[in-house]
Amino acid sequence: MSTTTRGPIPNGGGLMRRLNLGTAILTGFIFAFIGWYIAGKVFGFGDGPDNSWGRDRVWIITMSLWAIGFMTGIGAFVGPVRWVMGKDQSFEDQMYLAGKNQGISRYFKFTTDHKVVGVQYLIVTMLLFFVGGILAMLIRTDLISKNTEIFGSQTYNAVVGLHGIIMIIATIIMVTGPFGNFVVPIMIGARDMAFPRLNALSLWLIASVVPILLSAVFLGGIPTGWSAYEPLGLQAPPGMDSYLMTIIIFAISSGVAGANIVTTVVKMRARGMTWNRTPIFVYGVVASVGLAIPAFPTFMASQVMSGFDRAAGGVFFDTAAGGNDWLYTNLFWLMGHPEVYVILIPGLAAMMEYLPVFVRKPLFNFNAAVLGIAGIVGLSVMVWAHHMYMTGWAPNLNAPFMLTTELISVPTGMLFLVFIGTLWRGRVWARLPMLAVYAMLWNFIIGGLTGIYLSDVPVDVALHGSMYVTAHFHYTLMGGAFVGAMGAVMYWFPKMTGRMFDEKIGAWGFWISQIGFNVTFLGMFAVGLAGQPRRVSSYSSLFATGNLVSSIGAYTIFTGMLIFLAAIIHSWTSGEIAPANPWGAKTLEWQVPTPVPLENFEVLPVITSDPYGYGVPDRLLEPIREPVHTGDHS
Amino acid sequence: MSEHLDDQLEAQLPADKFRAWTKRPYIRHVFLIWLGLTILFEIFGPVQAHLMGAPASEAMKAIEDTMSLFTYTAAPVAALVISVVLYSIFGWRQPKGAGPSNESPAIKTNGPVTTAWVVISSLLCVFLLIWGLGEMNSLAPRNNGVKPLVIDAIGNQWVWTFKYPDNGNIESNQLYMPKDQPVVFHVSSVDVVHSLWIVQLGVKIDANPERVTLAHVTPTVIGRFDVRCAELCGLYHAHMQTNAVVVSPDDFNTWVANGGHA
Repeated sequence: MSTTTRGPIPNGGGLMRRLNLGTAILTGFIFAFIGWYIAGKVFGFGDGPDNSWGRDRVWIITMSLWAIGFMTGIGAFVGPVRWVMGKDQSFEDQMYLAGKNQGISRYFKFTTDHKVVGVQYLIVTMLLFFVGGILAMLIRTDLISKNTEIFGSQTYNAVVGLHGIIMIIATIIMVTGPFGNFVVPIMIGARDMAFPRLNALSLWLIASVVPILLSAVFLGGIPTGWSAYEPLGLQAPPGMDSYLMTIIIFAISSGVAGANIVTTVVKMRARGMTWNRTPIFVYGVVASVGLAIPAFPTFMASQVMSGFDRAAGGVFFDTAAGGNDWLYTNLFWLMGHPEVYVILIPGLAAMMEYLPVFVRKPLFNFNAAVLGIAGIVGLSVMVWAHHMYMTGWAPNLNAPFMLTTELISVPTGMLFLVFIGTLWRGRVWARLPMLAVYAMLWNFIIGGLTGIYLSDVPVDVALHGSMYVTAHFHYTLMGGAFVGAMGAVMYWFPKMTGRMFDEKIGAWGFWISQIGFNVTFLGMFAVGLAGQPRRVSSYSSLFATGNLVSSIGAYTIFTGMLIFLAAIIHSWTSGEIAPANPWGAKTLEWQVPTPVPLENFEVLPVITSDPYGYGVPDRLLEPIREPVHTGDHS
Repeated sequence: MSEHLDDQLEAQLPADKFRAWTKRPYIRHVFLIWLGLTILFEIFGPVQAHLMGAPASEAMKAIEDTMSLFTYTAAPVAALVISVVLYSIFGWRQPKGAGPSNESPAIKTNGPVTTAWVVISSLLCVFLLIWGLGEMNSLAPRNNGVKPLVIDAIGNQWVWTFKYPDNGNIESNQLYMPKDQPVVFHVSSVDVVHSLWIVQLGVKIDANPERVTLAHVTPTVIGRFDVRCAELCGLYHAHMQTNAVVVSPDDFNTWVANGGHA
């Protein structure tokens, strides 16, 4: 971020010199307006009962043109157009595109530098969490007591669906976006991503999605829950069009990002960085984005099909016309179950990465960590129908899906072994990111074990569709993965911003939010066990106490998260200037100066050992196999 | 902690080593914390059963028993993780103000521990699976020569309708069932996906448009229970609930004779 010693801005760039977020928004609006006007004239703007196709056509066309206009205005198509015209990029063009010497303004452009993309992702993620968090507060406010009705059922349902999908998207990108982009290339000793322009493309596609997703607020919301089951989705207002366009564009973005990150890690690791010397965070990121590559296309397909049903008279899911609702459910969960591990794995991997730094011990059984991640990835694509035990779709398949689901507890258990093995006898340097690991382990053991109850078919009869499920997945995704992301922010903050994270303010925010989190969702487990369904705007007086407790907890989380946000903003703007390696860590990203120069390394490093060489030899538990000079240690 | 033990132990036999290892002070502490936490977490078994309320069918009883069993089994597992966490915080943490330590042991891995961990977690997993399969098998409907009472349960935004084809096609918005009589639900929907959930009877199955799904139960307790919709079905999903009334066979016959009025 420092701009004190700035050289001249490169001469290249051509048209890209004129394009930025402002031109993107402007072009997006112009395209969207033209699309809306023409489509409206052709298909009718009407909202009448016999014109629902026309209405959805207009909005789908408007949103598509917004995205195309936005991407045009940011300059995503300049490169391909120049290329097809035979004008390849000059060195100066590339330096301009990488944001060389452009200070703050490069964060508002189609900049290819992976570090800029990482920071951009962080901002987008935080924005989504902020909106999703406000929506969560609206939900919990409505549920404080049986009689608090801040809004009607329609709005309540719309808010629940919006909260769900916003949080899902935010959690999917929260680690691989900011840290997968900023940290991973440096960590593996590369100068940038394999495909820097695709990297910028994936980020700006997400950016173009944000207004589409939020437009649902003005188009009737997403009153179907984030799963948007059919044929309920067909009854929903045009907010559903926002949903399906979001998913389609998001799937393209995640495919582009996934291919890019996987290629980068496979092809561009520094000399000597064998797979055994590749940091565990890199494995976590590759597992996550790699898993997204098969997962999201099915989700995208389901939404393309649902778009056909809504706007073009298709009959994929419209049961009244002969469509198949179970087809949707299958396509949805074919994405939906791998997706929770897309979210979870990088959060845990970030913590496995920095745990050895604070415990000053090697990561316990690196191989088990790799195998655990691989095992989860492999099994996670075979478990989707455990979400469908109660649909009646294929009762004979319940037992095999119970098997695959329960098997996941073995590789997940290996990750727990890695964590507690690393903690074992380690003299802990109790900085805030380290303490976040403890919080994660507490939350995730609850989230993980309650998942085993849900995997059991007969038990799921009692729990499926209840608040118990809501509590369970918040414990895994929020208590596990999101806390992992909070830890990652605190840990890599000095490298990304050049300033230290304020652990005093941060600790208040973190612990208040953790206490609130446990209060909220333990309350939710209780009402779920007692029989409260999910996604209900009002409830029986049986559940009054539990809901009140949950709402009090939710306000506590919100307070804590605001303080945490304040800590981030305060530290970013006026925190203590960070040294290059404040934690004494051994991975490569800490060996380069802060702020990290363009292209990261003057000379590419050669790797001779794994990055976890902390601690003193322990002769009882780990016999020394290599000869050691006498007098090496006292 | 007394690392000097390490030197004395180096030359000993594995069995002696293990015994000596158990004498280390932190082992005793972690073990005691684990024991305490296990007992503490076991409390969630009865708490859970209390929250779920008294079961009103064999199926629900089996579900609650399974959940108790899972909780009793899970408690020591959770306690193991949390006891290491607690000892790490209170026993192994550097004093306040101290920087990173240079005295942590460089334990890269431990074969026997890893093996034991994976074997035990796999055994637990196999146990879970066998238990689940056995339970599914024992809860599967059986033809014991008793003809089950057929009830059509129809989801309709946002009410449940129950029809009794064996009893002159009576229609009711409350679910009446005789005690100790096997019942089979033919569940369907006229619009979107709903889910028939009879909470205390341990019945849940989706109501899908254009299809019929089946659910079986034998109510064993006379009383009034809750029927809810467990799948978001639109505007008044939250209000799509009614009562399940389990009565004696005589009362049920009276109800039928009255054409579905109590």
